Parts: sequence; structure tokens; C-alpha cells
Amino acid sequence: MINDIWNGSIFEMVIGIGPNTVKAGGDCALPFLRDEDAQPVKPVTALEVWDVEPREWSDVLTGAFPGVLHDPAAWAKKCAQYGADLVSLKLAGTHPDLGDASPEQAAAIAKEVAAAVEIPLIVTGCGIEEKDALTLPVVARALSGRNVLIGSATANNYKDIAAACIEYGHNIIANSPLDINLAKQLNILISEMNLPLHRIAMDPLVGSLGYGIEYAYSIMERSRLGALNGDKMLSMPIICFVGQEAWKTKEANSPENMAWGDLKRRAVLWEAITASTLAQAGGSIFVLRHPESLKQFKVHIESMTALNI
Amino acid sequence: MSSYSVSFYPENIIVMIDENDSLLYAINLAGIPVKASCSGRGTCGSCGIIIKQGQVKLAVGAVPDQRYQGKEFLPACRCFPLSNLVVELPTESKLTGQQVLLDNSFGEETETLNIYSKNTLCDMFPFDSPVYRKITIVIPEPSLNDPIDDLSRLNRSIHKATGMEKLRPTMGLLRILPDLLRRGGWKITISLAGIPGSEFTEVDFVEPGCENDRYFGLAVDIGTTTVVAQLVDLESGTVTSAKGAFNKQASFGDDVITRIIYASEHGVIVLQEAILDTINELIEEMLEEISIKPSDIKAAVCAGNTTMTHVLLGLDPSNIRLEPYTPVANKFPAMRAARAGLNIYNQAWVHIAPGTASYMGGDITAGLLVTGMVFADDLSLFIDIGTNGEMVLGNKEWLVSCACSAGPAFEGWGIKHGMRACPGAIERVVISQDGQKVKYDTVGNSPPMGICGSGLIDALSWLYKSGIIDRTGSMIKDPNKQRVRETVSGREFVLAWAGETGNKADIYLSDAEIKNLIRSKAAVYAGIRTMLHMVGLPVEAISRVYIAGGFGRQINIRAAINIGMLPDIPLEKYTYIGNSAVKGARLALLSGQARELFYNIADKITYLELSNGNLFMDEFISALFIPHTELSLFPTVEPEAGL
Repeated sequence: MINDIWNGSIFEMVIGIGPNTVKAGGDCALPFLRDEDAQPVKPVTALEVWDVEPREWSDVLTGAFPGVLHDPAAWAKKCAQYGADLVSLKLAGTHPDLGDASPEQAAAIAKEVAAAVEIPLIVTGCGIEEKDALTLPVVARALSGRNVLIGSATANNYKDIAAACIEYGHNIIANSPLDINLAKQLNILISEMNLPLHRIAMDPLVGSLGYGIEYAYSIMERSRLGALNGDKMLSMPIICFVGQEAWKTKEANSPENMAWGDLKRRAVLWEAITASTLAQAGGSIFVLRHPESLKQFKVHIESMTALNI
Repeated sequence: MSSYSVSFYPENIIVMIDENDSLLYAINLAGIPVKASCSGRGTCGSCGIIIKQGQVKLAVGAVPDQRYQGKEFLPACRCFPLSNLVVELPTESKLTGQQVLLDNSFGEETETLNIYSKNTLCDMFPFDSPVYRKITIVIPEPSLNDPIDDLSRLNRSIHKATGMEKLRPTMGLLRILPDLLRRGGWKITISLAGIPGSEFTEVDFVEPGCENDRYFGLAVDIGTTTVVAQLVDLESGTVTSAKGAFNKQASFGDDVITRIIYASEHGVIVLQEAILDTINELIEEMLEEISIKPSDIKAAVCAGNTTMTHVLLGLDPSNIRLEPYTPVANKFPAMRAARAGLNIYNQAWVHIAPGTASYMGGDITAGLLVTGMVFADDLSLFIDIGTNGEMVLGNKEWLVSCACSAGPAFEGWGIKHGMRACPGAIERVVISQDGQKVKYDTVGNSPPMGICGSGLIDALSWLYKSGIIDRTGSMIKDPNKQRVRETVSGREFVLAWAGETGNKADIYLSDAEIKNLIRSKAAVYAGIRTMLHMVGLPVEAISRVYIAGGFGRQINIRAAINIGMLPDIPLEKYTYIGNSAVKGARLALLSGQARELFYNIADKITYLELSNGNLFMDEFISALFIPHTELSLFPTVEPEAGL
């Protein structure tokens, strides 16, 4: 058996405080190669929670969270029950089209959710750069000291968000549009603000199965190889927002009378396969939506990292 | 259809146009040189005019640009007359007073450029056989022992005097040869003119009485933006006159693509006339300066990029810009001046520098001669920093080239206060560490009117060093920096306040313009990296880098490295050779060896199409960072990288 010897590794990011931290990254080899990495790292998982009730989620999804979708704290508790390592709170309500909630309102909900669960938190904005630049610093302050993972920062709005992460002690998600050079550039810009490298996670903007997964796979693989070859600016753990991508697809939503078979099974598989494929590419943090996909993904990861194959 | 008169003030020219003719058409009719970057499409705003009297209607979508002491400029291409008009063309809209790089910039070297030889040009390209010369020879009279025909007799004597073998007489010579020989006592003065692209030399008679007249050659660099011409005394080899001017085609668009589109829609003749006008006016100016006649110019060498060459010859350039980018020809048939439309000796042969590909033309072929890299063992890189961004890598054994399409940003286009290197152009800039003070030098030391390419490179380097912009070129918000202003369309940095400028307006660089410059510099660097990668060589393998380009009298190589436009290799490896195309044309006029190379070297260049594959794009994105995403590529700029 010929093993590669690498001179670099993925940084290990710690999310959360006290006895309930989650570690992401830290890999010393390519994913799941038992013989090269004495302690293969398992990717960590998160289930997604929204600050407002999602209006357009399919029944398959909403069926998994009966009675809690209007209450972020309750919803988060349910996610913890389902076995997620983290809760990923999306502040969708701050989007101008979904209520345009103020940063203060968003921060209040974030605090509630953080208090409701023991597992650590990921907090993301609505995706509008200017709004997130206003919202996320306020949220960072409200969650001061909790060492959450806040995102996403882009090349256009990273300064305020990174400054807040430094001041209030959080990790940051750096988002780039499927381009390894732009990802590196953003990492350089953020690190030059003196945020330590191990507190940055990369979001390459993954696409789901059938909708651009190959692009993401290539970028993630190149990134992993770069890191293992010693490129510090590519050594950040990668976060994959699989849920939001997989559940957009028609394969996950179109009703059963098409020749595609059972909807629930199909939809869950779409998310689980996207996640497991990207785990093969080297993803470290997976944000999913359906607890069933979470379960299947975890079973898969267990078998890939088991001691006896 | 109503007609209206348009009077231009202060030029005092009046033209008549119809109600459907735009004022840009009127300006072109009046022959006043105007900036028209987008060639009348109404998108660039460079053809701004002031209506002093009369009414016009604006085409839909035109927006007046308020920028000069409160007066409204209107885009001429979008104005149509509603009455007789008096129109003023402000200075900013005119193509005037170009300081054109005439030839003489060598950076540190003061004498003629030569690297491998000890002293002068002549070592590399001996001045032994100019493209036209006169000789007087004495021919042995025919006898019964030597009864060969007059022509063979003449050729034999020419061969004895010069070693030339492939000789072709003109019919004119044959018609008077017997008479000329016998009446002249078997002593005759003939001219020997190299036929373009051929090994043959044309032999012609010299009018009796004109044997001692001086004879000249014309060297022309036909640039997209500026045209430079030189008159070279073919006997002594010296440049007796040099003149430059803007290319009048600029009224139809600032770049080759726009002009090709114009030619596709309106035919190539108008553009051809514009360039011929430009060249012939330069010839006229030079003739006047040294008091000679057009017929004293006995040969011409023209070097231009592929599109310029096509237009000069009236060839259809349309397919140059369409994949797979095919010119009509890369080598052109021999042509006489009369046919070509040049106002010199009408039988003069016109040599056209051959090109290699659509975006690699004769100007680069000519420039290559000047670098001497085709004789060298070690590897050189020749870069023409201009709109097309052509570069050639190689040595005496192989040559590869590519064009990285840097865009005209470093020539000042697309930058509001950008300008060509003429009087008033800021060409050097220093910004203080805190970003509050700016010192600059302008061309001609006149009050600044704008900033040219070399100034832009300096500015970019200092803006980053003083923390005004970050590595992506975005301006950093800082209320303490007086020179950084917020506007509705982004931030701007003021280089010179209105009180100190020549046009009483602030000279500034905007966020968007800086991003544009970064894209241009990224294209150049990415082109170099891609080409090196394609031949599998590291940048350290390059022994010398020759930089050509007319964006200034010099280029601050240190600044160019700081921003990541040029590779971080020792400064001694760089040489600025200014206008290499006209220098190369001159070499072709004077040296047979240079001419041979001139006609053959273009074939030996392998043109690499950068748009094939992903590599260039990848390198380009990587280079959109100051100095580069891979900080370790710039150790002298980023000594901390790689820690």
C-alpha cells in the first residue's frame, strides 16, 4: 500500500464553548483514507432552523418538524433531538422580501435559539450583502463569548463582519462563487484583518446533485490538495449548505405521479447523496434540512470511518 | 429634408448637414479631430460639445454630462440639429497635441539599443544594404570578344560592384538603357530597390542631373492610437525627421474591435482614408521640415498590427474578430506607393511588415528585430503593453507569442481623467504614507489635465502602499482621508484639486476605474504566466524582458512589479524600448539582414491562443489581487509571504 505523506493539514476550527464544543476540520490526509490518517476526521453536521416560518418548504420537509416551525427555539431543540452536531440558524426574516427584520430583532431571536440548546450554533444572514453587513455584527455582539460560526462574509462585505468576529470572539464563514482563487483572496483579506486562520471556514457555494455538484467537487478537491501541500490560505475547513440546495430541486419537490418514484424517499436521497458526495470531496461541515438525510449521512460516515472495513 | 449649417467655434469652419445627421457627423465632416471612443454609439460620452447658439434635439437615452464649470456637455453623436448652430468643441473632447513616443526612449540606455553587441545597431544589423540606393558604375564597352547584351552587361557590372545577383530591370530602364549607356560614356547611375518579400532587386535608371540627389526612406509605425513616421536618409542611415500624430481612425472608435465593426457595417474605405490621411499629413510635415519633395522618398516600410495593416491596404478585417480569428493574409504582396495611396515617389516599393495571426501583427515583427532576441542563446520576453498586450517569448531557436488583450486602460481610455501621454498628463505620482498628500510630475511640466499610463501604474502602486485601496483595489472607507470621497456611484480618490489643474476640475480616480486597471494589469501578468506554463518554463529562465509601449516616456518597473503587472525578477533584467515598431521599421530600411529577418521571422512565431482551455482564465482571476493571490510569487513586494 503506497501512502501519500503530506506536509500540510486542514486547520481545526472549534465552534462553541464549555463542554459542548464541536471541532471541524483537522484532517491530515484525503477523506476517509484509513491508512494515511491515523484518526480520520468525521465531518460534522447541522440542521437548519429559520427565524421565520418558511412559506415554501415542501410537505416532506415540514412534516419532519410538526408544530415547531413558527418557534425557532423549539425548532432548534428538535434538531438537537434528531442528533445534529450543530444548529444552523438562518436569519431569513431579515431579507427585505421576507419581512426585513432589523438587526436587533434578528439578534434577539439568535440569543433565544442559543439559549435553547446545548449544541453550538451557526448563524447565517439572508444573503443580501448590504443587509448582512448590518445584521451580522449586531448578532455577533448579542452572542458575544459564545464562539459561534457566523456567515457569510463576501469580498464586498467582509470588513464589518470580520471585525465583529474579532471583537466578540466568533468564527467566520467566507463565501466565494465557486472559484478557488477568489476563495483564497477572501481568506487573505480576512486574515490580514488579524482574524486567526483557524477561525475561518470556506463556503464555496456548492450546488446539489444534478445542479453543479461537479464544480463544487472539483473546487473542494483542489482546495484539499492545496492544503495538504502546505497552502495555508486553502487550509480552512469547508462548510456545505446542502439543505438549501437539494430542497430547491424539482427532484426533491415534484409529486409522486412522475416516473421518479416515492417523493419522500427521493427527496431525502437527493440531500443525502449530495452531502455524502461532497464529504468525499473533503467537506467538513454539512448543513442539512431533513432529519432523515441527517441520519442516512451519519450512517454513511460511520461506515466510511469504521476501524474494520 | 431640412439642412442646417453648423459653425465650429473657434475653428471657424462651417459645414452643412441634414436634420438626420448627428453633430458627430458634422465634426467629422469639418475635419476636426474628436474623441469618439465608442464610435458614435452614445455610450462613452467622449464626444462632448457645447451648443453656443441654436437648438438641438437629443436622441432617446442621451444624458448630458455636467463636468466643466457648470456648463452642460452634450454627446455630439446623440445631437441632431433643429436649427442652424454654433458649436464649441471643448479641449477635453479633442484629439490634440499628442505627445507621441517618437522613438527615443531607451530607459537607462542613452544610445541606440543593443544588448549582445558592444556598440551600435550596426553590429547586429550592419548598415550594408538599404532598401533603396543609388550607385554609379562604369561598364566595359562591348566588343567582339564581349558582345553580350546591354542588360546582361549592366547586371554583370552591378554584380561585380555589389555582389547582387537577382536583378530585375524596369521597362523604363530598358527603354533608355542603350542611349543612356552610349551617351554617358558607359558610366551610369542606377537605383537598386529591394522588392518586398522577394530576393530580387529592381534596377532603374536615375534621371540625368539627379545622380547626387539625396534619397530617403519612410518608416511608419501604424498604431491603433498613434502613428509615428520617420524619414531616414538612406545614404547616411540617419533619421532626418520624425513626427507623430493621433490616428484619425480614433473618430470611428478607440479600439480595433470597434473599428472592425464599423468597417463591417460601413465598409473599410472610410477607415482606410483616415489612416492614409494621417500618414500623408505626417509625410507633408516632414517634407516641409527638411525641404525635400515627395519623390525624394524612395521606399517605405510600414509596421502595424493586423487590423491596421488590413485597413491600410483596404482589406476586409471582419473575420479578424470572429472565431477562429482569421485575417485575410499575414504576408502582403509587393505594392507601389501610388497603389498604396502614400504620397511619396509613386514607384516606391512599400514594404509591409508581415504578421503572425489576427492579434499578432507586423508591429510586433518589427519590434522583435529591435530586441535582438532572435539571435540570442538565452531566453527573452518582449511585451508590448498596449490594448492588445502582445508578448513574445523565445530565443534564436524558437519563438512563441500570445496576446493577452490588456485593454486600453493603461493608455487612458475608459478612465475619466485618463489621457494619452501629451502635455498636461500626470506621468509620475507619489502618495504619502497617510494618503493625504500627492506629488506628481506632468508631461511638459504644465498644469495637470489628466493622467497617462505611466502615471496610472505609479498611482496604483502608491494607493495600495498608503492603504487607500485593499488588495482587490476597493477603496477603503475612511472619513479621515480628505482625498477619498463618497459618491452615489462609489468612492473616488482625488489626485489633484481643481485649483491646481489645467482644466479647473478635480482630477480623480474612481473605484470602478481602479478595478479596470487591475483587470488590465492582471491580463498582462496572466498572459506571461500562461505562456510560460504552456512552454513549461519558470520565470527565472528569462534573462531579459523588453517592454515596449507608448503610454509614457518611461515606465516605473518597480511600481509595475508592486502592483503585480510584471514578474518579480531583478530590475536589471528589464529594458524599456519605447516605440519598437518604428525602430524596427527603420532597421528594415537600412539593413538587408534585418529585412530578411523581417520577412521570415513572422513565420517562425508560434501564436498561442490564450482563449483555449482554462489556464488563462484561472491565472487571470488569480492576478486580480495586489500583487497576486499567490503572494509568494512576489517576494520583494511581500517578504512575509510563505511564513
